[in-house]
Amino acid sequence: MNQIKQMLISFATRRSRMTIVMLLLLAVLCGSFFPKVVIDTDPEHMLPADEPSRIFHNEAKKKFALSEIVVLGIINEKNPHGVFNPDTLKRIYDLAEFSRTLRWENSDDPTKMDGVIKVDMIAPSMVEHITQEGPGTISFDWLMPHPPATQSQADALRKKIFSNPMLTGQMASEDGKAMCILLPLTDKYQSYRVYAALQEKIKELGGDDEFHITGLPVAQDAIGIEMFTEMSLASPLAMGTIFLLLYFFFRKLSLTFLPMIIATLSVVMTMGTMIGCGFEVHIMSSMIPVFLMSIAVVDSIHILSEFFDLYTPEKGRKDTIVEVLNSLFMPMLYTSLTSAAGFISLALTPIPPVQIFGVFVGVGIMVAWLLTIMFVPAYIMVLPARIFTNFGFAKHSSGKITPLSRILEKTGGISYRYAKPLLGLFLVLLVISAWGISKIQINDNPVKWFAPSHPIRLADTALNKHFAGTYPAYLILESEDLEVHYSNSDKRKLAEKLAVFSKEISSEFPEAERKAMGFMAELMDMTDRREDVPFLELATILAANKAEQAKDDDFYLYEEIGSFFSLEKELQKPFKQPEMLSYLAGLQKEILKAGLVGKSIAPADLVSKIHQELTDGEEASYRVPEKMQTVGECYMQFQQSHRPHDLWHYVTPDYNGACVVFMLSSGDNMVMEAVESYVNDYFQRNPPPSAITHNWAGLTYINVAWQSQMVEGMLRSFIGSFAIVLLMAVFLFRSFKWGVLCMVPLTITIAFIYGFIGLIGKDYDMPVAVLGVLTLGMSVDFAIHFVERSRKIYAKTGSWKETLPLMYGAPARAISRNVLVIAIGFLPMLISALIPYRTTSLLLSSIMLTSGILTLVAMPAIITVASKWFFAGSKLEVPAQPTPETTVPVKVNQ
Amino acid sequence: MKSILSLITTIALVSLMGTFAWAETPDVETIVNKANHMALYQGKTCKGKVHLKIADSQGRIRERDLNILRKDVGEGDSRQLYMSYFKSPADVRKMVFLVHKTVEPGKDDSRWLYMPSLDMVKRIAAGDKRTSFAGSDFLYEDISGRSLHEDMHELLDSGNGFYVVENTPKNPGDVEFSHYVAYVDMKTYLPMRMEYFKETGKPYRIMEVLKVENIAADKSGKLYPTVTVSKVRNLETGSETVMTFSEIDYDLPVKESIFGERYLRRPPRELMR
Repeated sequence: MNQIKQMLISFATRRSRMTIVMLLLLAVLCGSFFPKVVIDTDPEHMLPADEPSRIFHNEAKKKFALSEIVVLGIINEKNPHGVFNPDTLKRIYDLAEFSRTLRWENSDDPTKMDGVIKVDMIAPSMVEHITQEGPGTISFDWLMPHPPATQSQADALRKKIFSNPMLTGQMASEDGKAMCILLPLTDKYQSYRVYAALQEKIKELGGDDEFHITGLPVAQDAIGIEMFTEMSLASPLAMGTIFLLLYFFFRKLSLTFLPMIIATLSVVMTMGTMIGCGFEVHIMSSMIPVFLMSIAVVDSIHILSEFFDLYTPEKGRKDTIVEVLNSLFMPMLYTSLTSAAGFISLALTPIPPVQIFGVFVGVGIMVAWLLTIMFVPAYIMVLPARIFTNFGFAKHSSGKITPLSRILEKTGGISYRYAKPLLGLFLVLLVISAWGISKIQINDNPVKWFAPSHPIRLADTALNKHFAGTYPAYLILESEDLEVHYSNSDKRKLAEKLAVFSKEISSEFPEAERKAMGFMAELMDMTDRREDVPFLELATILAANKAEQAKDDDFYLYEEIGSFFSLEKELQKPFKQPEMLSYLAGLQKEILKAGLVGKSIAPADLVSKIHQELTDGEEASYRVPEKMQTVGECYMQFQQSHRPHDLWHYVTPDYNGACVVFMLSSGDNMVMEAVESYVNDYFQRNPPPSAITHNWAGLTYINVAWQSQMVEGMLRSFIGSFAIVLLMAVFLFRSFKWGVLCMVPLTITIAFIYGFIGLIGKDYDMPVAVLGVLTLGMSVDFAIHFVERSRKIYAKTGSWKETLPLMYGAPARAISRNVLVIAIGFLPMLISALIPYRTTSLLLSSIMLTSGILTLVAMPAIITVASKWFFAGSKLEVPAQPTPETTVPVKVNQ
Repeated sequence: MKSILSLITTIALVSLMGTFAWAETPDVETIVNKANHMALYQGKTCKGKVHLKIADSQGRIRERDLNILRKDVGEGDSRQLYMSYFKSPADVRKMVFLVHKTVEPGKDDSRWLYMPSLDMVKRIAAGDKRTSFAGSDFLYEDISGRSLHEDMHELLDSGNGFYVVENTPKNPGDVEFSHYVAYVDMKTYLPMRMEYFKETGKPYRIMEVLKVENIAADKSGKLYPTVTVSKVRNLETGSETVMTFSEIDYDLPVKESIFGERYLRRPPRELMR
């Protein structure tokens, strides 16, 4: 290792120009991949493609033709009639007519059309209105074929909509002030085009309505756009701030540029490699620049800070930088390795974007390390000599003491004198943090990734004010046993049933009972020979054959018998059974009462609505009928409309599967989880009439699925990286106790941060989870530097009491400069429109401050309390002058 | 010289366009009247079994069986009575539709529905006939026919054995299509293909005849060219339906009275078998 170190340092200092050119060329090469960037904002991709819940989600989407939906909300709070006035309805009509035209040829396949699926659109002009038209008459018509011309027509329309429980609270809000046009898309990537076209159209409309365009695909697009803004605005702003801070510390423009160059090069190389490898930029990986910048800046500040402090004109830049690198090479290598290990351990989480993020931050850290080791000395060497005429701590601080050094000096004194009370204080804080951590609630909500002033958030707030639920989750129910096998006792039972049936029809067919018995005997005989054909199938075939050959009355009798067995087949389709539909209706009613969902639509609702209109139209008739045949007739009538395909969003054509759409009141994962466990519980408490499985689909649920994977995965990866970092620290110091000591600041920092999050009630979401690992990387960096330098200095002084004040010189200054630069430097990210970036910025600052303070206060306090134990057996170098200036410089081949 | 040349060109063009009837292409009214007759009015009565096979965009299949009975009661091609009796799926067996079709402008067909499990007859409100027939891709109007008075007709082309007629509704607001194009067989006058358009240049719905058979009337032995297999494709939903018409009987003596509301509950046996 020492050889490599010498080689690298001497190469960088001797062939400095070449080093710089080579590194810049490398950066240009990596940067050339940037134009190939693909942004991916699909929350579905938070799960691996083979993850069961994602596979299920996609299968269910296909099975029930569920599409991603753009929601166009129209709100009118000024008109006393809400949206139900002729002007607004005309605009709604125009918007719907306009939306149907938002279709264009698929660029890959000209036979296909992309854009809005008009046959599945929900808009007043495009949905069916099935109703009683006078006594004994049922009418199938478009709900609003033309926009109403008068207020009374508008009122009539309002009445029509609210007579349909399936549209109430879905298309129109109960208060009559809001209407939603739902635009299903052929695929979610069409949403931006649709969104932009709608925006243009809305501008032409005028009027006093409020328009909102939202829905998950729109939100995803918006995240993509904000990510670009982030990368092109907030990140440079952070860079600028860091630059100013650095200038404040070092007072040398040319040297201040250095960390910025290192940071930029690391980001360009890493992101370029990532894009070049074909990975898409997800919201996670869009944060890589931020993370890398902070880490790269930290690395170069360590060197610069040390260089600044040690530089004297007498020694010259070459000797100084060689000396600095000699003392910092190993700690920097180790801190980089540990941080990188911490991030790479994110590969243990089962979430692809987090894995990519972790691995590339890890790679980036090593790139930043290499750049620091190579580029910094080379850069210092190529600077013109005059730059160093007025440089160095000695020069600047001669005579006066900077506030930072004063504070640090005092801190050192305090942590030495009050070591025990301080440790007591930290213990108390730890206990409070533990209590806070126990209160942490795990929750995420992609809509809340947007700042409250963002159009998406505004739309969400506005629509939620009027609608009880706007977040769809799909409960998919499927029959467990598709093939019913008839045992001998089943067949006997069926024979008895047939006997009863034949008796019932014997008034019409006098010979029914005898012939039915004969038929059954023949059938039983046949089943022994034809085991390949399902029993009921065989029965219907036999009946059809017999009817074919029969004369007169016998034909009708065998047709009755055949239909008896066909009905038996229908009885095996769970979602044609009144019991099953009532069961679902019961679930819907209970979950609505529990306040978990704003609205739900199930096959039971379709059947109830048709039943109501087929019978007397009274509200009491809005119910699931008693007989299966009536259910069948209701389904059939539902399909005799303009939109027969609507049925297949709720049941499968074989009636073995069903979909219940729940509209949740919030996109919070917590709400989805509560609904999920409520439904599980309901199924447990009330077993369904026949065996069915239940599962969830929809992006609201996908979010929950990856969240639970993430929490678990993050914990695993955190424990993993904690262990790796500990091992590396132990190995670095060849000492278990020092290794453990290094873990103290980061452990306490994490406890404090998460305790605080728990206490203030901030949700534990994706950025919060990921920042835990950053804490690990950053804090251990400080701790390792601190321990390394303490031991080095102790080796010279032989006394902790004498070591401590020296520690609060250059080493502490380097750490606190780092803390301040990162803590303040990333605050500009607070201007971002995406909340995860704001969270990152705030957390990053607090993590840096906390871990900095802990390194500079808690660690010395612990060492003070147990200095004998820590330094027992440590080797002392030849003592004497206790100043860092006397460290032996390595020989550099000239 | 010039006139001879143009005459030759004209002859060449006309013979290209229509090999059979180049001499006297009938006017568009004649074509649509004949086509209307062939599609809907052959025989005084007609009875048969209809099988519907509906396949959605995912290829999932549903089937329906019904018996259908028709009687013409008006002068010429005018009033008709239709009765359809459902046999399967078993849960809607015995469901019956009754249609009294009229061609008088401004008047609507009368339609009834009998639901056996509710034992209830319901009248279906007049108005839109462009709703799905039994959940298939055929519409009511495809079964009982669209009145000729509702559209303006234009002969677009004649050639390749077809008269190509464009039909544009007189009240565009009443229907979802902007126009439809019918391909009428020059020999039989059976409409073999209908393409429905909305503003765009591509049809969104296509009905095509897959098989025509000559069916002899039981009594007279007269031959009726009859569409026995046809298919409707809905290009918007990706769904398609194949309709098979079998066991066809023409000119059976059927009393007009059985097409009454009373018979819905106990349909005549000739309809059930």
